[in-house]
Amino acid sequence: MSQNNVSIHYISEKVSRVRWLPEQLQQSERFLTGSWDMDRNFVRLWRLHTNQFATANVTAGGPPELLPRCMDKVALEDDVTAMEFVDKDTLAVSCADGKSIQYPSLNPLILEIAGHLSLLKVHRAVEEDLLERTARSECLHSFRLLPEPAPCTDLAVYGHDIATCGEDGLVNVLTAGNLRQVKRTIEADSLALCALHFIGQQQLVAANRMGILRLLDVRVASAAQPKTAFMTACRDDKSSNFVSSLASHPMQPHILICGTEEGTITVWDLRNLQFPASYISAHTSTINEIGFHRRDPSKLFTASETGEVWMWTEQRSLGCEAPKDGSSAWLCGDRVKSLLKPQGVLQNISKPINSFDVHGTRFICGGDSEAVYLIDGLM
Amino acid sequence: ELGDPLAQRCGNTLTGVFVPGTRIALSAFRNVRFDSPDELTLVQEPVLIHMVEETSMFEEPALRSILAEANATFCTLQQLGCGQAVRGEYARVSCAYRGIIRACLEKLELEKKSPEVRADDRRLERLQGAMAVFYAIECVWHLFEILYVQQCQLVVPQLLEWARFHFPHTEERATDLLLMGEEAGEADPETYWEVLRSLVRLGEIDVTRAILAQSRKAQQPAYKTAEQVLKGMPVYKDNYALQKFLSQWEYWSVDTRRKLEANVFVGEPELEQLIQLVAGDKEQWDAGIRESDDWYQYLPGYLLYSKPTCKPFELRIAAANWLNRWALLRPGKELTSMGRMVLQLMQHDVKLFVFEAQRMSDSHWFSAHLIDIIYNAGTLRSYFDQNNIDLPALRHSIIYEYGSQLMSSSNLWQLGVDYLDQCKQEGRAAIELLLPRIFARSERQASKLLAMAKKRGLLVVEQDICKVLSKRAFDSQRYGSAIEWAIRSKDVLLVTGIADFILKHYSRTGTMLCPDTISSVGGRMFLAPRLVFLSKYFEFYEFYRHRDFLAASELLINLLQSKITPDYFWPSLLIDAMPLLESKDPKIFSKETVSILHHIETELVPLIERNVARYGEHNTETVFKDYRVENVNEILNLMRLACARNLARAVIIENTVPVD
Repeated sequence: MSQNNVSIHYISEKVSRVRWLPEQLQQSERFLTGSWDMDRNFVRLWRLHTNQFATANVTAGGPPELLPRCMDKVALEDDVTAMEFVDKDTLAVSCADGKSIQYPSLNPLILEIAGHLSLLKVHRAVEEDLLERTARSECLHSFRLLPEPAPCTDLAVYGHDIATCGEDGLVNVLTAGNLRQVKRTIEADSLALCALHFIGQQQLVAANRMGILRLLDVRVASAAQPKTAFMTACRDDKSSNFVSSLASHPMQPHILICGTEEGTITVWDLRNLQFPASYISAHTSTINEIGFHRRDPSKLFTASETGEVWMWTEQRSLGCEAPKDGSSAWLCGDRVKSLLKPQGVLQNISKPINSFDVHGTRFICGGDSEAVYLIDGLM
Repeated sequence: ELGDPLAQRCGNTLTGVFVPGTRIALSAFRNVRFDSPDELTLVQEPVLIHMVEETSMFEEPALRSILAEANATFCTLQQLGCGQAVRGEYARVSCAYRGIIRACLEKLELEKKSPEVRADDRRLERLQGAMAVFYAIECVWHLFEILYVQQCQLVVPQLLEWARFHFPHTEERATDLLLMGEEAGEADPETYWEVLRSLVRLGEIDVTRAILAQSRKAQQPAYKTAEQVLKGMPVYKDNYALQKFLSQWEYWSVDTRRKLEANVFVGEPELEQLIQLVAGDKEQWDAGIRESDDWYQYLPGYLLYSKPTCKPFELRIAAANWLNRWALLRPGKELTSMGRMVLQLMQHDVKLFVFEAQRMSDSHWFSAHLIDIIYNAGTLRSYFDQNNIDLPALRHSIIYEYGSQLMSSSNLWQLGVDYLDQCKQEGRAAIELLLPRIFARSERQASKLLAMAKKRGLLVVEQDICKVLSKRAFDSQRYGSAIEWAIRSKDVLLVTGIADFILKHYSRTGTMLCPDTISSVGGRMFLAPRLVFLSKYFEFYEFYRHRDFLAASELLINLLQSKITPDYFWPSLLIDAMPLLESKDPKIFSKETVSILHHIETELVPLIERNVARYGEHNTETVFKDYRVENVNEILNLMRLACARNLARAVIIENTVPVD
């Protein structure tokens, strides 16, 4: 189905998140992976090198084969649950943490670090890049009644603001400049929150395990939060369906797209929350990550638990004029299927794909197959 | 031997119990028999229980990738199916497996050089052990692939390649010689000729010729003749008429022998030895055997010069003869396990080979993938049939073993499941047992486990996982989570229990737990009547709070008549009706008021009577835990009064015809 040239690199770690290092003017050649469910979890910085030994591809006129090499790594206390860049070389990493760890330097003090946030800084260099942990927050998430750590499940970034959500139903907002101090804690839900997304500088959307999305205001405390909640559509009214991933349109921020547990995509127009704008059946399993291409908003990617990555492209050639201001193919309700064409990017992996990232024409994804899949020259 | 004092006193005897997974619990044990003397066992020491676990070599990150990668290949092979694809496909899969091993060996080699490992002796040792094991696996797998997966008619060229690959030492030295050019022969003539000899023995005619051509003496007649002989050696190529090739070969070997007899090379004894090797001279080859590292090193080379058209079934005899020669010349040397496996393959003794493969210390990695490819490629099916071995059953048991081992180790469950999937009912049963045992550290992991169970239709497992999470949330007082997981588990009893808890908590304290969750239960409430009651009551509670009394009273009446009200909640429900009955403008119709009164008399009063009968007059609070209740009888009277008043009002209003 796809002619993309996929190269697979086994890295001996289950990948929970993968991100390209942002570059302004060139193709990014460095990416970061965060691992989960390993004895020790790391955030690793990789850099692509051309393979000197494989000459077959080059002589055939194709692009040179790229090999990732691990440049540096930082050990984290537990599973990496989300990673996002705050600026061009600072990475915010949230960590699900359920263990108390004894630091030899702080002996005999035992620190209980749970559901915390770390900032990692990438130092670019010609030869050896470095990755270093510059800041770490206090325990952000814990179950209130029992002093028990709760995993942090997702994070969202807007400018220098970082918001985290956890299984305890709290949303914490911090600034990258000072992780020690939590700007605002919102008791958003009594259920575990699954996904979090900024839809404006002051507004957050948090989704819980029942598929309820809530609009939160960063400026006000828990009690004064707006009571806007809406529910994702679901195939079967009686089964549970949580929102597993959130994204918003890069150009039209009122379009909110949710990938759900059952593999469907629900699109909301935030100006009209009465009912979902579109509802698309996509995968047959949980959509682990959903997101637009950073530069090209006509492309949306979805990665699923059954090891599929699809790319949805807006059909421009159907003869309809360019979308008028405010309207979008995503908001077309029933017609959305005819306006958007899904295309398989990766298939037959059989293990969950947890995360992906696109930068220019380079696509990378990783999952529980303990491998990263690299596509250079997508389409 | 356990080190604890208790064990030492008992003479270091142990007892062990298998713990689910791959662990064994050991503790000190003293054997007491009918004739052992009675002793006072005033032992103060605590009984220490030691957990023993088999170490797995796959904790090493470089080795982990072999599992993950092989798993992907394994899945591809399952998709190809058994005996349906073209033979070339299976050869490709086999090649992929070997590629994985080679890549891994390379990674290990790199790892070994890293400073991190160098400082750690135990790790270094482990790495070296792993390398030895996987190197051996690659070697025998390669041979296996040549003989049983590719199934070429003539095996000598492939065997030569195999031998060269696994004894690369000679080739390395030959490269050095080639680089040295002319001086190669003079600097150290002994090694020079030694290398040349082993090159010939490995069948590397072209390289030998290149080195010889570089020599200063290359223009001398002896060298020229040697070049002629080596160049003239016929090499069998595909699509060649076998008969024609054989006659060519015959001619060439007779010619070579004649040249030797004519003492053409007598001036160059070293060169003569080379040609003697090529001619298959027994003495020269015996010398080769003495130098060889393992018995099979020079066998392919010998076959090249003595029986270039050797077929797989002829290999058996050739190998046996060669081994006899080797054993005669090297009496002190015993067969290594790898040597044995090579022999088993050449002698078509696959049964023993598989057995031997199982004994390798690689946690069954090799045997599992090997037996699977044997089964799928289907080329050996008749062999297994003849030997009365049930191949599918054998494959089952080995894969099952491997899969369940992966499943039960901490973070390889996602890989293990694929293997167990291949094992029909037993595999399914094992998944059913092992999947709920995996400790879900976060809800994310839990949802992955659930997805896995769902994909396989293991409803019971799904429910178990949800129930565990629900219980866990309940214990840490996260009732919202608890009820959500309970709904997911679809366990009516569990849902009822939690809903009961929330209702009781409400009637006792007047605060509703986790309102946001209850409000969004929606269609899922029909799972259990109690949950329906809870959500409906919550709806009423919300109406009431927002002062929407009309809607509230309608809902309340519905609830009262719904017959799903739990006993303990009657008082709260009826007390809730009181303000509505007493409000200034009447909200409840006469008919409904009557029914409320009816409920008071038929539900509440018998309840109180039952309660009084059981606990006595003064012990009323055991049932009436409502926070608003102080004196039951007073409430009862007030209720009756309120009903009567409302009834009076309602009857009047309802029966008044507006006068126009």
